[in-house]
Amino acid sequence: MKKTAALTQTILYGGLAVWLIAASLPVLWAVVISFRSYVDAFSTPLKWVAPFTAENYASLWIDKAFYKNFLNTVLVTLGTVTVSLSVGCLAGYALARYKGSVGFWLLMVALVFRALPHSTLLPSFFTLFDALGLRNSYFSLIVVLVAINQPFTIWMLRSFFMHIPAELDEAALVDGCSRFQAFRRVIVPVMWPGIVTTGLFSFLLAYNDFLLSSALTNADKMTMPAAIANAISAESETLLMQGVAGAVSITIPLLILVALFQRQIVSGLTQGAVKG
Amino acid sequence: MRLRSFMQFTAPSVLLMLALLALPLAMTFWLSVRNCTVDLELVSVQQTGPFGSQEVLTQRARLNAKGQVEESCRFVGTDYYRKILGLDASTALTAARSPATAAVTAPPAPPAPTAPTDVKNEFWAALSFTLTYVAVTTPFILGGGLLLALAMNRVTQRLKGAFIAASLLPFIITPVVGALAIKWLFREHGLVPHVLSQFGVEIFWMAQAWSARLLIILYGVWHVLPFAFIVFYAGLQSVSQDTLEAATLDGASAWQKLRYVTLPHLMPLVVFVTLIHVMDAYRVFEPVLVLTQGAFTTSVQYLTYDILMQQNNPFKASAAAVLTVLGIAVLLIPLLRKTWREQRAVH
Repeated sequence: MKKTAALTQTILYGGLAVWLIAASLPVLWAVVISFRSYVDAFSTPLKWVAPFTAENYASLWIDKAFYKNFLNTVLVTLGTVTVSLSVGCLAGYALARYKGSVGFWLLMVALVFRALPHSTLLPSFFTLFDALGLRNSYFSLIVVLVAINQPFTIWMLRSFFMHIPAELDEAALVDGCSRFQAFRRVIVPVMWPGIVTTGLFSFLLAYNDFLLSSALTNADKMTMPAAIANAISAESETLLMQGVAGAVSITIPLLILVALFQRQIVSGLTQGAVKG
Repeated sequence: MRLRSFMQFTAPSVLLMLALLALPLAMTFWLSVRNCTVDLELVSVQQTGPFGSQEVLTQRARLNAKGQVEESCRFVGTDYYRKILGLDASTALTAARSPATAAVTAPPAPPAPTAPTDVKNEFWAALSFTLTYVAVTTPFILGGGLLLALAMNRVTQRLKGAFIAASLLPFIITPVVGALAIKWLFREHGLVPHVLSQFGVEIFWMAQAWSARLLIILYGVWHVLPFAFIVFYAGLQSVSQDTLEAATLDGASAWQKLRYVTLPHLMPLVVFVTLIHVMDAYRVFEPVLVLTQGAFTTSVQYLTYDILMQQNNPFKASAAAVLTVLGIAVLLIPLLRKTWREQRAVH
């Protein structure tokens, strides 16, 4: 009996260790080689230890002006999160409180849009934004990200709003608040945990987007993931190593995010209509 | 809440979705049955070379009064659909227009020749890999996620936080970065081929179709497994301990408890994860772009992107997009019906 228990423990922790290595190895290895020169990063035979250099980061952030892409990302993600949440909270609240069948239809249509592959909208976006003169603007990228985010945002916010007792609104309404005042002054203040969690997922969607940013903006307005795209097929050693440094640079803010908001991310994942 | 205030509260969201999801989707249908070409005109240009100047006839885009490139558009029906589906390659479609915003000084782009002999079925190739990807990744994600969740349930409390944090990494990482990290791990002179060569295995992972596809699937499982794991783990916390104890008293084995108590409890979550994963897996794009650049395999979303960005043909891309939308619609009908019934019951 004791022997099988020990065996179970070994298998258990062994299996978990294998998963942990698999989960973190690609990123860990990218971090390691990002501080190497090309010949050390991809060498035969493989080098476990190699001279340290920050050259890749210097050439990426300074020579290639990656800080501009960083600022673009800040602008685009901040814009997307702010607009997504403002618009989404209003709709999510209404969807949680309204009992008629229109709400049900809206949710179903949103679910269908949630499944839409993003590239199917691109030809129309090109035509629309060209006609309006909005191609290659922060504005068009942000509104597109907000719209694509919206189905998921309203589903998630709705499920958070459902947890807030409707008696709260009713009390406010009886006390003479309008619907909007009840929402703004009574409900939103107790909704912050839900808003933070939904905001995190909106942030992840905007921050991680590659397809839309690379298609809708030119080099000067690209976010970080779109900007390192030329590392994908890079034949040049410098470009490739800049890509490695860029990949690590993009991942660091995400690591900080997990460290700070792990609980909210987990609660969001288990909340319901999740995953950007 | 009354219908009136419901409408007011949802108006901004609904308008955004109408303008940027519904309208573009409708427009895609419209674009897919049309074709526009840049109007060309013949002009003679004075060319000065080392051997004196001469007059040369050349083509350039005709400009209208505002200095914009003039285009002529026409209805082409199902031409592009037949082209993408490989049904009919003989249609005389001249290719892409150059973007309307092209600089006036730019040399006119001659209509890219579309090879009439090219009867390969791009869409079926893309669709078959996409469906393979959906079908292969789903069981691994569900099974792996369940195993991890069950294992995690038995880990000492102290380690859980760190373990969950580390597990989240593949899930929240930027997909294009995650795919690149895996590419660097597996590329020539990378870590994995090095370790494998110690055991006498020599594979050039990105040099042939089967291994490139395997890498894409590997990336997919790596990326989504944490999601299934977290959802299942949360579900395990709410399994009724009373029922489990009762089952133990009745002499149920560990397997029987799992099979008859835990799994039925998790079933709604399994459906939920499957629904979300099928939606997302059908859109697989970044790993295809990063790991093969469409060389050995494409996915439906990659196909649209490639036709639009590389061939610069929004009309053909729209036809591919419409077919893509039809595909996901068919795929999702059973799952949507289920969600439908559940939500109907709640409402």
